[in-house]
Amino acid sequence: MRITPDIPPEQGLRMLREAKGYFITNTARDLSQSDFKNRILLHTELLVAEERDEAGFFSLEISGGASIHVDMLRKLINPFEKLKILKKHMPRTMFQTLCRGINLFGYRPYPENVIRLTVREFAKYIEVWRVFDFLNHVPNMIPVFEEVKKAGRYLEPAICFSTGPEHTDEYYVKKVEEIIDVTGKDIILAIKNHSGLGTPARIGRLINAILDRFPDLIIHYHGHNTDGNDIGRIVAAVKAGAKIVDAGDHAMTGFFGPPPILTVIQTLADEGYDAKGINIDAIIETSNKLKKVRRAYEPFESQFKGFDSTVHIHKLPGGAMGSSFEQAVKGGFLDKMPEILIKELPRVHRELGNFWSVTPGSQILWTTAVTHVLTGVRYKNANEDLKRLLLERYGPFPFYRPSDEIYEAVFGKDWKRIVLNESGREEITPIDIEEEKRKLEEEIKREASIEEVVLYLQHPKDAVDFFKFEEEYGKTYVLPPEVWYRQGGFEIGETIRFRDYTGKYHQITIGPSSPLEEGGIITYLMVDHHPEPFVYKPEEEEKKGEEEKKKSIEELMLLAEMGEICSTIDGTVVEVKVKEGDIVKEGDVIAIVEAMKMLNNITTPVTGEVKAVPVKEGQQIKVGDLIARIKPKKVKEEEICQDRRSQEQSIGHQ
Amino acid sequence: MERKIRKVLVANRGEIAIRICRAVHEEGLKAVAIYETPDQESRHLREADESIWIGDGPVKDYLNIDKIIWAAKKTCCEAIHPGYGFLAENPFLAKACEEEGLIFIGPDYKSIKDLGDKTIARSIAESAGIPVIPGGNILSEGDPTGDALKFVEKSGYPIMLKAVAGGGGRGIRKINNEEELKSQIPIAQKEAKSAFGDGRLYLEKGIERPRHIEVQILADNHGKVIHLGTRDCSIQRRHQKLVEIAPALLDKEIQDKICEAAVRYAQIAGYRNAGTVEFLVDQENNFYFLEINTRLQVEHTVTELITGIDIVRRQIRIAEGIPLDIDQEDVVLKGNAIELRINAEDPQRDFAPESGKTVLVYQSPGGPGIRLDGIVYQGYNIPREYDSLLVKLSVYGFDWDEMISRARRALKTFIIVGPKTTIPFYLRLLEEKEFLEKKFDTEYIDRHPELFDYKPLEREEAKIAKLISIIHHKKYNPFSM
Repeated sequence: MRITPDIPPEQGLRMLREAKGYFITNTARDLSQSDFKNRILLHTELLVAEERDEAGFFSLEISGGASIHVDMLRKLINPFEKLKILKKHMPRTMFQTLCRGINLFGYRPYPENVIRLTVREFAKYIEVWRVFDFLNHVPNMIPVFEEVKKAGRYLEPAICFSTGPEHTDEYYVKKVEEIIDVTGKDIILAIKNHSGLGTPARIGRLINAILDRFPDLIIHYHGHNTDGNDIGRIVAAVKAGAKIVDAGDHAMTGFFGPPPILTVIQTLADEGYDAKGINIDAIIETSNKLKKVRRAYEPFESQFKGFDSTVHIHKLPGGAMGSSFEQAVKGGFLDKMPEILIKELPRVHRELGNFWSVTPGSQILWTTAVTHVLTGVRYKNANEDLKRLLLERYGPFPFYRPSDEIYEAVFGKDWKRIVLNESGREEITPIDIEEEKRKLEEEIKREASIEEVVLYLQHPKDAVDFFKFEEEYGKTYVLPPEVWYRQGGFEIGETIRFRDYTGKYHQITIGPSSPLEEGGIITYLMVDHHPEPFVYKPEEEEKKGEEEKKKSIEELMLLAEMGEICSTIDGTVVEVKVKEGDIVKEGDVIAIVEAMKMLNNITTPVTGEVKAVPVKEGQQIKVGDLIARIKPKKVKEEEICQDRRSQEQSIGHQ
Repeated sequence: MERKIRKVLVANRGEIAIRICRAVHEEGLKAVAIYETPDQESRHLREADESIWIGDGPVKDYLNIDKIIWAAKKTCCEAIHPGYGFLAENPFLAKACEEEGLIFIGPDYKSIKDLGDKTIARSIAESAGIPVIPGGNILSEGDPTGDALKFVEKSGYPIMLKAVAGGGGRGIRKINNEEELKSQIPIAQKEAKSAFGDGRLYLEKGIERPRHIEVQILADNHGKVIHLGTRDCSIQRRHQKLVEIAPALLDKEIQDKICEAAVRYAQIAGYRNAGTVEFLVDQENNFYFLEINTRLQVEHTVTELITGIDIVRRQIRIAEGIPLDIDQEDVVLKGNAIELRINAEDPQRDFAPESGKTVLVYQSPGGPGIRLDGIVYQGYNIPREYDSLLVKLSVYGFDWDEMISRARRALKTFIIVGPKTTIPFYLRLLEEKEFLEKKFDTEYIDRHPELFDYKPLEREEAKIAKLISIIHHKKYNPFSM
């Protein structure tokens, strides 16, 4: 029995309910994020696409989480194109995503029209939508719920799971009720155990409690293997009645991601549970192929090998383990990690409300704890996100509010007024998507597709950089990891073979390099048997960086005194207040520039006549762009000198 | 038959020297190339049987008649083919040949001299009853502006201000009002003096949105004159031809009239060898004699494609005194042809030449209907001293649409890495609606600035190779970290 994309969700849900046994989701995305810093390439996913399609999973989790961002930022692939290509190679497998509710695939809330558009576009390629909120605040998930239903896809609301006195069965059953009130019962309910917490017994009790209240509910258990015991929790979940569980390909499993699929199947088989639709040969063949490429990803595996049973104390989610250690190494505070993980992080976690340590909450807890340990000062140096959390911008605290002392440390003496005036869930006004499309098209100097607009709305700068990269370097997802992540350069005579996105075969052979008289290195590459020279000039690069260096505020002020009024910020000119021939006085507003939704006055420090105004309303400007040229009213030299003399005197008196 | 010519000195360089060598060889004769030092690696030397160095140049030795004559004598040539440009329209090379007993492959000294004088050329047309553009009187040296204002009283604006000794589109100015007239005349005078050694100017009434139509003529030494149909060279930029099409896209009736006028002109002028009679055709299909080019033209290839007649071989035979082997009835015009000049230039920077750059990769198209006349090869360095033409792409099609689709296909399959070229510009042109509907005139390019709004073409594998070179040089992939 297999549930394939052509089966309507109503029928698929019925099959799940009636199945004697359980289904498996291959969480390739979570594995990549937890154990390989999100770096596993489409090339590798394609290498095993056929085998995975044959394996008979309920779904392949291949999108969502941080992957949308990292696809563009580090793998330089269009997240939509990735899905389209994989779909072609895996027609019988449903794709699954992980969506952070109102925060979508990012770290802060998006306007509702952006959320709806994004879900609509991704739902064209994604059948199963797991949706969560780090505060388990159901209203934060409603727009996504609605769009997934509208698109006719499987809706999988998640309850984030954690441990502690507040995390009772009663609480979670009530949460499920709250969700079902909104969605109805035709859903899959995910238990999102992102840190891999609780014992098998705890997970079994939780699922029993939920199924006691909603006997027909389909439960999908998701866990992490950080403590090495997720197989135990999975077995308990299935025995308690979960119908789907998450696991990963054994050749790639590490420590912080999912446990191996094959072990799950073998263990449960002996308990009398049948993995539905599964072809074991295909699962083994997938890993046989993956074993050969794992080495290419070595630089992105955790610096620290081994399971970490202290996760039950620090509760970091599997997806954040690798990057936390990486940050500690880069930041030089690796020796402080035991203190951070065992002492400060759990303390901060309790103090801030014992909510669920998952994006963006996990980042807030982690950053706060690290800051405390590194500075020795608690809460005083709060960042924006912690302030937003305390003001309940993300949603209400689920169990209790942090103490007044913490509020006072963060907001100062006046904290009560600030909390009174500024607290509450943020209402985000919809943005003009057509206007955003226009901005994007201006940046990339061509028409943008709706999918490109969606990507731009998620991560504006990184999307634009990616589009520009692709124009310059082509579709590089055709390159294997041993080329994309190559360290130390290639060997002379080494040949890189690939098929481009149109299917054409090419080969590039590395030829000799020699230094150039004018500096730099020239290397010949044999591109499809024709030698082409490529010049590399490191010093030129640096020089370019210097030229692009923005003028300092001091330099801009000096220019302004000379009558060249330049913008001090990057933004959009919303109003030009002067025209050629106007006489302006010191302090007059020349133009208003909008940046980050703030209006900024650009004023003149000199009195004189406006000679030129080279900007228009609506124009984008950068720091240092000329806004107006003013011919300063002549000041008699004498006055200046007198002025200077009196200044010098006053300095002398101090 | 005993040939008068056994060896031809090809007094030119670049693609036209190669073109002439090919015809010479097909005639069963030998070809000698000349070269200046910067050209010592040029491909035209490889195509010839012998080559001879004539000095360091640049350009000045190719223009030195004495050296050319010396080279021909030294290498025992009986004839000299001047190609186009350089000395092709300099009557004194023809004259020197006559004096030295060498055969000049082209018209005689007197024809080149007289017909090169625009006012004489006009008066011949008038005497042959061929319409000329109103105007034509040479402006007096004493009061050129006064003369011009008198002319304008009758004709109105715009008018064309031309150098008597100009040609090939050079030395022409369009004048729209009195202010321009007064300011431009002194400048034009000075410019004509320095460029052509003759500062005399004349005026013509300006014709709005004309087509530039020309007729290819062949005339032997025995009184036979035939035409090989028309070409449309309207697509120009600053009076320089960019694209040439054969035949012209006019009604047959008008084509016939124009061709007949061209033949009549050549007969009355007593013209010999190959030549081109140029006309302007206005929007009402009135045609006006413009000038006659007393030489082989760059765009002769399109006429060869639609007639099947090798013009350069006929030039050699005519010069030998052999009667033309073709009658007018034998000339059948079939299909359509277009010539696109693939230059190492950047159309987006006002066609600035990419001098000094090297062609790193060169792969040319082939297949049905494609003809290439070029100098380029992989490793070719765009000379600073000479023109930036890489290769002329001439495309034949059974009809207009076939010609267009072949031309697009050919342009897309060129691989030229190194310098920027005119290829992306031509690809834009071949997609433009008015052009495809055959609606173009000499102002076409000015009306279509969007043709220059394209992104450079780059092969996918070249883009990826660029990335691989970065990973190689930096020793890691900076985009992946």
